[in-house]
Amino acid sequence: MLQDYLFPETVNEAVSFLQDHEGQARIIAGGTDLMLDIPEGKIETNYLVDISRIPELREITMKDDLIYIGAAVTHNQVASSELIQKNAAALAQAAGYVGSHQIRNAGTVVGNVCNAQPAADAAVALVALGATAEITTPAGQEYVPVEKMYAGVGRSTIDSTSQLVTRVSFPVAQKNQGTAFVRLHQRNALALPMLNVAVMVTLENGRFLWARICMAPVGPGPMRTLGAEEVLKGAEITPEVIEKAAQAVLEHANPRDSALRGSKEYRTSVLPVLVRRALGQAVVDAGGPSN
Amino acid sequence: MKEYKVIGKSVRRLDAVEKATGTAGFTSDMKLPGMLYGKVLRSPHPHARIVSIDTSEAEKLPGVKAVATHKNTSRELFNTSATMTFTVPPMQPVLDQYIFDNVVRYVGDEVAAVAATSEKIAEAALKLIKVEYELLPTVYDPKEAMTTEAPVIHQCEMKNVPGEVIQIPFGDVEKGFAESDVIVEKEYKLPVVKQAQMETQAAVAQVSLDGKITVWCTTQTPHPTKMILAKLFSVPESKVRVLNPPYIGGGFGVRIGCSAKAEPIAVALSMLAKKPVKVVYSREEDFIASDTRHAGYVSVKLGAKKDGTFHAMHLKATLNGGAYCSFSVETPGVLGCMGLAVYRVPNQFYYGHSAYTNTTPAGAMRGFGNPQAMYAIESTVDMMAEKLGIDPLELRLKNIMQVGDPWVLPYKCGSTGLAECIEKGAKSIGWENRGKLNKPGAKKLRGIGMGVGTHVSNAWPFCGDYDNAYVTIQQDGSVHLASGVPDMGTGTSTTLPQLTAEVVGVSLDRVSMTLADTASTPFDIGSHASRALYAAGTAVVEAARDARRQVLEYAADLFKVAPERLVLEDSVIFPAGQTAGDDCAGSPVCTIGGKERKSITLKELAYDAHQRNKQFIGVGRIVPENAPPWHAHFAEVEVDTELCQVRVLRVAAVHDVGKAIHPVICEGQIEGGVLQGIGYALSEEIKYDDRGRQLENSFHKYMLPTADDVPEIETGLVEAHEPSGPFGAKGVGECGLVPTAPAITNAIYNATGIWFCEIPVTEEKMFRALKEKAGKTV
Amino acid sequence: MSLKILKFTLNGDPIEIAISPDEMLIDVLRDKLELTGTKKGCGKGECGACTVIMNGEAVNSCLVPAMKASCAVVETIEGVGSTDEFHPVQETFMDMGAIQCGFCTPGMIMSAKALLDRNTDPTSKEIKKSLAGNICRCTGYVKIKKAVQAAAEKMREKQ
Repeated sequence: MLQDYLFPETVNEAVSFLQDHEGQARIIAGGTDLMLDIPEGKIETNYLVDISRIPELREITMKDDLIYIGAAVTHNQVASSELIQKNAAALAQAAGYVGSHQIRNAGTVVGNVCNAQPAADAAVALVALGATAEITTPAGQEYVPVEKMYAGVGRSTIDSTSQLVTRVSFPVAQKNQGTAFVRLHQRNALALPMLNVAVMVTLENGRFLWARICMAPVGPGPMRTLGAEEVLKGAEITPEVIEKAAQAVLEHANPRDSALRGSKEYRTSVLPVLVRRALGQAVVDAGGPSN
Repeated sequence: MKEYKVIGKSVRRLDAVEKATGTAGFTSDMKLPGMLYGKVLRSPHPHARIVSIDTSEAEKLPGVKAVATHKNTSRELFNTSATMTFTVPPMQPVLDQYIFDNVVRYVGDEVAAVAATSEKIAEAALKLIKVEYELLPTVYDPKEAMTTEAPVIHQCEMKNVPGEVIQIPFGDVEKGFAESDVIVEKEYKLPVVKQAQMETQAAVAQVSLDGKITVWCTTQTPHPTKMILAKLFSVPESKVRVLNPPYIGGGFGVRIGCSAKAEPIAVALSMLAKKPVKVVYSREEDFIASDTRHAGYVSVKLGAKKDGTFHAMHLKATLNGGAYCSFSVETPGVLGCMGLAVYRVPNQFYYGHSAYTNTTPAGAMRGFGNPQAMYAIESTVDMMAEKLGIDPLELRLKNIMQVGDPWVLPYKCGSTGLAECIEKGAKSIGWENRGKLNKPGAKKLRGIGMGVGTHVSNAWPFCGDYDNAYVTIQQDGSVHLASGVPDMGTGTSTTLPQLTAEVVGVSLDRVSMTLADTASTPFDIGSHASRALYAAGTAVVEAARDARRQVLEYAADLFKVAPERLVLEDSVIFPAGQTAGDDCAGSPVCTIGGKERKSITLKELAYDAHQRNKQFIGVGRIVPENAPPWHAHFAEVEVDTELCQVRVLRVAAVHDVGKAIHPVICEGQIEGGVLQGIGYALSEEIKYDDRGRQLENSFHKYMLPTADDVPEIETGLVEAHEPSGPFGAKGVGECGLVPTAPAITNAIYNATGIWFCEIPVTEEKMFRALKEKAGKTV
Repeated sequence: MSLKILKFTLNGDPIEIAISPDEMLIDVLRDKLELTGTKKGCGKGECGACTVIMNGEAVNSCLVPAMKASCAVVETIEGVGSTDEFHPVQETFMDMGAIQCGFCTPGMIMSAKALLDRNTDPTSKEIKKSLAGNICRCTGYVKIKKAVQAAAEKMREKQ
């Protein structure tokens, strides 16, 4: 039963409160998922520690070639940030697809990661961007790739009763880099994705230098597809290469049958199309040729 | 053509200010002194017998004031839908449910209810009720439900078929097929869809100590609901008052009769607790435990001559009625009648019924069987066109019903503007571009399709149907209208006053309306069947004429001329041939207040009458005819053959509304219907799992279109004067939904060459169809 | 559970009210403050009927813990316009057929107002995106979108 709702003013204050209450206190940011889970009894807590008013968590900043997104930054702030649009189009697009305008005004990108839903749009984009999370505990700070933050379906490696993800960061985009996010859904708002794909490419002299491809929900969390990335490495930018990489993602993809969001067979069949389209867009974003 | 002063104009709706400022009254906003909150315990099982139920722990919880179960509530059988109040003899209404029973027949069926001082306490109390169930065998498909192996859900003459089978013969269908050159036959499968009106089912009941019952609720039919509650609780109808407060957050058929069981449960709890009780369904309850549209199977066999003349049609429907009857007898009736009324086919036969299953009851939803019929028929007509090599538009124009044609309905086809609708819609969509939209090898394919239909303008002959209204001239000459119909968003609280103002001869701002209250309005069967403007409006016109007649008769005495010579315009009465305030010599004068006058205002006249102890009270008592509205819809779609997704790009919807009393409201009805039709065609569907649970039981899971999913919708109005309607008007409310799905599926065929005989055409279905097609061509 | 004092600005007025920390903003507004213009259509952030503007942003009040409103500026439909001078969005909603049953209307107007407060020249896409979290089952959204466009125009003229 909830006893109190607090607004710590600093990260340290938040984290020490968690420590003092040993599992009885929990971090809340936007609360758009948490406030559904608590009434349903999925989560029980005595104290909610609201981090949305801690100044340094409310910012999108750039420092030393890294872009930082604080834990209290909402989806809409990310989607409309010129810095993000320029450096990480995939993330701006992904954040713009989440839920609805009202949800995006409240829900945060970091919360999207911590909630650990398999197809969390922002998380998929962050994995493609190679983002790292900064986790603050009473012992200090740890840095974990977003990719490694999934412990299972709907389970995060983050324990929000003792840890606070303070921000996520990823490198500023180089001129020859591009990203893209594509999403398959049954309607344009208020819908979870049937599939989503984020990619990041780095081009050089008409070739892919390297690429990251992330897709969901084809496993417990956003899934990298190393085989397909390997296909692209050093390869010439041609429709055939892109198609080959797109087909190669199927080695790693294991979408399940969902009565709500499509059969395994259907999703397996259209996944390469999405990957192909995402790669095409990312190449253009990176200043490469459009096909 | 007569110039009208008030009708035909898109004035600001009279409910607009309250609704735009958040002050409009809705049931779910109500709070009464001492009011308790009711919550319902629902069955987790699709079919089970309640072996025991123990409410003692719940009753002990502080704050709990009453617990209702089948043991301490009415044992009167009833039907939550209004069918039990207006079924036309010799047919008998099907009464197959109690407020609570000792058998539950679907997941969500009512087991018990608690009234407590807060919603939280009521919810906590539900968890303390111990119920022991004995599980019973289940069936979910209407065809299977009729087999000998299926469990009996209710005892019926024909296995699990509520009421009777509807059979409509016309001509000689066997001979008709024998004489046909080309025959097309197909079966179509239809999904469960939901009204998804914005305000969930809600009721606030207050049972006074002297036995009077007042229920504020979301019903579309206050008067019939009063009859249901009076019977259910064995109290005189005169002691039951049912009213909207005064608005309803949408309806689309979901509360014709009771608002699911919100009213009966609120009353039962209020009787036990002796306090007012409010019951508001959660969105999930609204999904799982209030009527859906009928799913099921519709098959069409169509025969034509080589030249395209339709010669025979056999239509058959087996609908999924769900666990209780609701409108499961009338819906297949309307399905058949509407299906047989669009084309002149000399030889026809319809056979249709519902079957009980262990799913949420199916009842009324916008279109009431007609969208099911027209999806099947209009798909088949396109198949016929293809087979005959005739343009589908030409084929329709050749065969559509004309004024005076014999048809299956017991009223006349008194008007049709369908040909004009088709021509206008075709122009709007660019029909001539059909077949020229795609480049060879394209992965995104475009197509154009069409569908047409008709509907009713009231509920007769499927139900009893009559209306009353009072138009009372107030002592200051302003006008009060009382009509029992609700305004569930369709604009009756604006259009009925418009009719009143026009007929009486006053400006709209002089008219006020009381609506949807059994204590202050005369009997009316409510807002459904696209009838409020046409049927209740006819009563309103009658009442307004009566009031005007009385005014003019009174004035005639003063002017000393025949009443027919007098004009009442803009609240001024004067003899015909002179304008108000005119001072021409020799014209009749009236003497009032000792002064001679050439004209007199209604205000002065009404007050004069008041001083002589008289009020003008107009009464309208009518039994409406019925009339067919007509509509043609055209859709342009784009099919992404790689992602297997269909997107509607444009819809042109042209409707013959008889006379648009308020054109913008007519357009709004059509646009809303079109979008629901797009959902019906492509995305909306409730599926059940193998334990009888709805998979899509929330707005998040149920894929109704959002503002970001709307294509361009172009509406057009055609006005083919309907002699039986007020100022020539016909129904429009349901029509936008009727031919939308087939226009889209026919467009999909045009794009892809694939017929979809099952809707919605989801990504999954498109994927399987494209795969099958590719398999065939390889 | 101890009660907390929630202080915030509601429609321009200072509010101080004792609430339990697990209450949601929608319930404080509707039940405690009796501002029933904010509607409850689903209670799960899936329909937008409960939309209010908090610190300039449209949010679903059914998903906002009431404590989050602490020190915030909250606007509900009751604070928008007046019968002397309606907000342009109210005007155009009333005059262009954007209102039918009226249940989604307050939330829809709040979403539209939040958009236009920030941008009086929104593109058609921006309007769609801003309203897509507000379900309307009556209108098909056609006249709602036109009304928002017309309101934007009115607001631009005033500027």
